[in-house]
Amino acid sequence: MLTIEGLKKSYAGNDILKGISINVNKGDVISIIGPSGSGKTTLLRTITTLEEANGGRITFAGVDNDFQKLNGKEINTIRRNVGFVFQNYNLFNNKTALQNITEGLIVARRVKKNEAENIALKALERVGLTDRKDHYPSQLSGGQQQRVGIARAIALNPEVIFFDEPTSALDPELVGEVLKVMKDLANSGTTMVVVTHQMSFARDVSNRVIFMADGYIVEQGEPRKIFENPSEERTKKFLTDILANV
Amino acid sequence: MSLNTDFMVKVAQTAIQGVPVTLQIVLVALLISLPIGVLFALIRIYRVKGLQRLVQFYVSLVRGTPIIAQILIVYSAFPSLLNMIIGKAAFSINPIYYAYIVFTFNSIATLTEVFRSALQTVDKGQMEAGLMVGMQPRQTFWRIILPQALISALPNIANATLYLIKNSSLAFIMSVKDITAIAKTEAAFNYNFLEAYLVVWVYYLIICYGAEIIFYLFERYFSKYRRPIKNRTGFNWFPFSIKQPKLEQK
Repeated sequence: MLTIEGLKKSYAGNDILKGISINVNKGDVISIIGPSGSGKTTLLRTITTLEEANGGRITFAGVDNDFQKLNGKEINTIRRNVGFVFQNYNLFNNKTALQNITEGLIVARRVKKNEAENIALKALERVGLTDRKDHYPSQLSGGQQQRVGIARAIALNPEVIFFDEPTSALDPELVGEVLKVMKDLANSGTTMVVVTHQMSFARDVSNRVIFMADGYIVEQGEPRKIFENPSEERTKKFLTDILANV
Repeated sequence: MSLNTDFMVKVAQTAIQGVPVTLQIVLVALLISLPIGVLFALIRIYRVKGLQRLVQFYVSLVRGTPIIAQILIVYSAFPSLLNMIIGKAAFSINPIYYAYIVFTFNSIATLTEVFRSALQTVDKGQMEAGLMVGMQPRQTFWRIILPQALISALPNIANATLYLIKNSSLAFIMSVKDITAIAKTEAAFNYNFLEAYLVVWVYYLIICYGAEIIFYLFERYFSKYRRPIKNRTGFNWFPFSIKQPKLEQK
């Protein structure tokens, strides 16, 4: 459904992504793990066109082109078919929880207002925040804000939702509520690509784990294989380091 | 020394005719300079080729010269300029138009910087979130970025407005009959300068206080989304009281 080939990205002479190829199928739940600075976030941002790539090809939602040759229309098509959940939520601060969700539906999708509100309410129900619909982001806890962020993404019914470290800005006791929502989504067949440091999510929920380091995909495969029997030395070291801290 | 209170009442009655003139100058200058200020701020932020330098030069020019010099220049240059262009004496023009010009030019420069800083305080994640729900950059700007920027600009707009109100008293140099000009003329007749100036003082105090209240109400109304708790800071109705205003409970 989504295929990326040879994706490259550099900032000011530093190569961040050195040729990444990924294939995402419908219903996949992919966890991307790896040490900080390995390019995980940049990968999501270049695929979703938030950053311009320096090379590589994307095949997605009818678009089949080199990243650098994408025209405005193709960029719009990509953006319309992805959902994005940000690390620091990025809810629209001047809109209520409900308006945060209806905004994209009404403005970008031209959905009628009352219809958009129905969709938004259903999305809020899925993340368990119907009673907070008229609250502004500043009146919500971090976990609640992130759940609204997820509701905003699912309301648009995108082909694939990207999660950029959705729990790493949260207080530890709030991580659980967000992970639970994400687990429910995964079980309902939503296609998800998740950059995460939550190894439990990567191991128990996803059907494929990608380990990245230094701008390369070092290893990928089923979670059981990656966690119990990694073939690369880098992966082993990362996993022992990170699991030692749990 | 005693104050001639009868005279003060008389000056107060005459000078009140200047209040609408002062307010007119302030309102015209504000209403024109607010949208232009936003536009200029955008030109500076997005570094629009060619125009950016122009705006920067304009802002430095206006901020780098005393307002009294600007008034004198406009007041002496424009009539002869108009004379040259239209070919007839432009001296019959109501001098209040010159006041509009000077104070509008001035506010544009101040507000450009106010909006520039306000627009930059809006997190860039807001724009990214807009793009990721499929909105165009322009739509995100109008619906998400600008409303937030305007609200965070409010205290500085209030500040600029208060300066504008007070600076407008310089319009008397252009023989505009505002509060200050009327009081000055009255005083000159009777040599009761102190009394007349005290009246001026009180009038400006009242107008500025009114403006403060208006901006406070604006801010309270529009920034409800920024209030994490239900408590809100009250307005300091009595600027001279030592007690802090109580927090209103919603």
